[in-house]
Amino acid sequence: MDLNYTAEDVAFRKRVRTWLEHNMPRQIRDLDERKAWHRRLYEAGYLGMGWPKEYGGQGARPMEQAIVADEMARAGAPAPTNGLGLGIAGPTIVVHGTDAQKRRFLRKILTAEEMWCQLYSEPNAGSDLAALRTRAEDRGDHFLVNGQKIWTSGGATADWGLLLARTDPAVPKHKGISCFLIDMRQPGMDVRPLKQITGSSEFCEVFMTDARVEKENQIGRLGEGWGIAQTTLGYERGGRALARVTTYASQYHHLVAAARRLKRNGRPILDDAVARQKLGRIWADLEVERYGALRTLTMLERGEHPGAGGSITKLSYSEFEKRFMELAEEILGPYGQLTDGVPPEYRLEVDTAIGDHGTWAYAFLWSRAGTIYAGSSEIQKNVIGERILGLPKETRADRVGGGR
Amino acid sequence: MNFSFSEDQVLLKSSVRAALDEQCKPAHVRAMMEDATGYREALWGEMAKLGWLGLPFAEEQGGAGLGLVELCLVLEEMGRAAYPGPYFASVVLGGLGLQLGGSAAQKERWLPVIASGQARASAALLEDTLDWEPASTTTTATKAGDGWRLSGVKRFVPWAHVADVVLVPARGPEGLSLFLVDPRAAGVTLTPMVGIDLANRWSEMRLGDVAVPADARVGQAGAAGPVLEALLRRAAVCASAEMLGAARRCLDMSVGYVKVREQFGQLIGSFQAIRHRCAEMLLEVENSHSAVYYAAWALTAGAEDAAMAASVCKSYVSESVRKVCGDAIQVHGGIGFTWEYDLHLYFKRAKALEPLYGDAAHHRELIIRGQVLHSNK
Repeated sequence: MDLNYTAEDVAFRKRVRTWLEHNMPRQIRDLDERKAWHRRLYEAGYLGMGWPKEYGGQGARPMEQAIVADEMARAGAPAPTNGLGLGIAGPTIVVHGTDAQKRRFLRKILTAEEMWCQLYSEPNAGSDLAALRTRAEDRGDHFLVNGQKIWTSGGATADWGLLLARTDPAVPKHKGISCFLIDMRQPGMDVRPLKQITGSSEFCEVFMTDARVEKENQIGRLGEGWGIAQTTLGYERGGRALARVTTYASQYHHLVAAARRLKRNGRPILDDAVARQKLGRIWADLEVERYGALRTLTMLERGEHPGAGGSITKLSYSEFEKRFMELAEEILGPYGQLTDGVPPEYRLEVDTAIGDHGTWAYAFLWSRAGTIYAGSSEIQKNVIGERILGLPKETRADRVGGGR
Repeated sequence: MNFSFSEDQVLLKSSVRAALDEQCKPAHVRAMMEDATGYREALWGEMAKLGWLGLPFAEEQGGAGLGLVELCLVLEEMGRAAYPGPYFASVVLGGLGLQLGGSAAQKERWLPVIASGQARASAALLEDTLDWEPASTTTTATKAGDGWRLSGVKRFVPWAHVADVVLVPARGPEGLSLFLVDPRAAGVTLTPMVGIDLANRWSEMRLGDVAVPADARVGQAGAAGPVLEALLRRAAVCASAEMLGAARRCLDMSVGYVKVREQFGQLIGSFQAIRHRCAEMLLEVENSHSAVYYAAWALTAGAEDAAMAASVCKSYVSESVRKVCGDAIQVHGGIGFTWEYDLHLYFKRAKALEPLYGDAAHHRELIIRGQVLHSNK
């Protein structure tokens, strides 16, 4: 056990820090500017770092990836774009794709020439994702896709989608699902933005009517989509854990500074025993998240996959984030709810999860999403119970019978 | 960067587990709960032979020269077994206290005999007000010839009734100093303080003008504060390790139970109300593990955030272990509330340690003081 960084890692961190100091844009106003920034990160070797070199990656160690993400969080650097390409679609293609698919798609994800979204959830298949009904029918040289997807982040800007669809309704529901890469820019795709409680529209609904997927764009074998989806959900966890905590810590220090200025009952909030207890608790929780990130990173460095253990990490940080943001709102009072006209002292300069709006209000609202997306807290607890603790499965009506 | 145990550390943990599984079964714990002294010399001698009693001491003092990570591995297993005996008092409070503040002669005198099991030590860190700030000490030390005379009342002194030496903070003309006191000396009165964890023993220690010799002072006159703070940090992390072990045992017993207990014609572990509670317990246990071993490493390595890590650890673990052990009783239902079922042994061990060496509230305040310093920089 040695929690010091190696000399190489320290040197690498320094290089990244210097590079960011010289290259980080002050402000990003639109998608084109974000794409340009994305491209610069890629050219510096800071995107797709763990992907194979022959497809545009760096073949870098998990620690190097974590350091880049962490330094970006520390500097408050804007996020790259194409998050679902980098985080979900790309890794899925790396692991499950054919050589031709890798050559066709990976580099364009890294350059943001092609933007991606993930077509998993449906109106009646949320937590029960395997209940999805979108059909992909084999028409000889292609698949014909009909159905509706929802909560599709980045759907409005996506060129391609990673799709889960049912190819065999006759078999038990987990076994009849397959995975595809689908062209979003075809006539059969109707994408409608969904406005969220944040007022912005990162999410979309996607209606697919006789949309076409070429045979060569099937990922893995027919009927293996569920297993592939399980591994891609795993990619959403773990890798960015350290950077996430660094962002929390930066937000926390903003909060302490605000607690020093703001007063209740005639004295600074920071002198109030109750507020101190709450802030002390959140810092302890935050540090424990950091230690957890170091444990995850240790596993990744050894080439181990956290597996179901990733559910513990996800449950822990997403629930923490809600507690943290509730405390921030308590301390900041109505300042915490401002979306515009925020006095500079109470501004949050740090990028939020998806990298756009730097207000406490946005960060607070967004914290409600973390315990829902990528498997709700309740689903994580089921996974922990069944797959780690080995508890008996519940009796479920859908564990018998076919996919319909 | 490597947050995992070495092969030697894994081996140490499994050998402690095996020894305690064999020699510290619940029946042994129960026997000691009713025993006058509260522990067995046989197991103590075995622990000395296995090197546990000198684990953190230098090799020239009969120790193994290991760090807090190893010590916490042993203590986690002791918590898991609700081990009854003066290990924590002797090795952590007495031993580390001497290691931190003692002169070469004092270390030479005591550490080898603590390591060999011939002597037991402890420390008297609390008084009537239960304030963990060393500055709150009211016990007095008055100069008398070459030595001193100590007067005051100490509370919750662990295993003082079997100790050969107790570290006692007292206030003299030069400020707060630390003294070695023989609890059998004239003027010392020990009265048992019986808590809910009967496998753990405390005494009230009254010092009525107790004479201590010239060589009994540990460290410089008036300089005990930093030594006590350093000792309290280590004790807080070590206590957290023991609580973690108790919590793991409670979780294991709960998971085992809900896999066999049927109600409404089904195993209760299949109900989400139970399963989700068990998942939350595991999350708390895993996070507590991170908190304990990070802090143990940081203190051993002298990391910049070591003091902060100790407070993060004790505040986090105190609260999370409270939840885990309490939830364990809840998922067991009535059987978990009976004396004959073993769950309460671990529940009570965790509870006994929760307020010691600073409770969650104490350490959160220390965290904020550290934060305020940080943001003033």
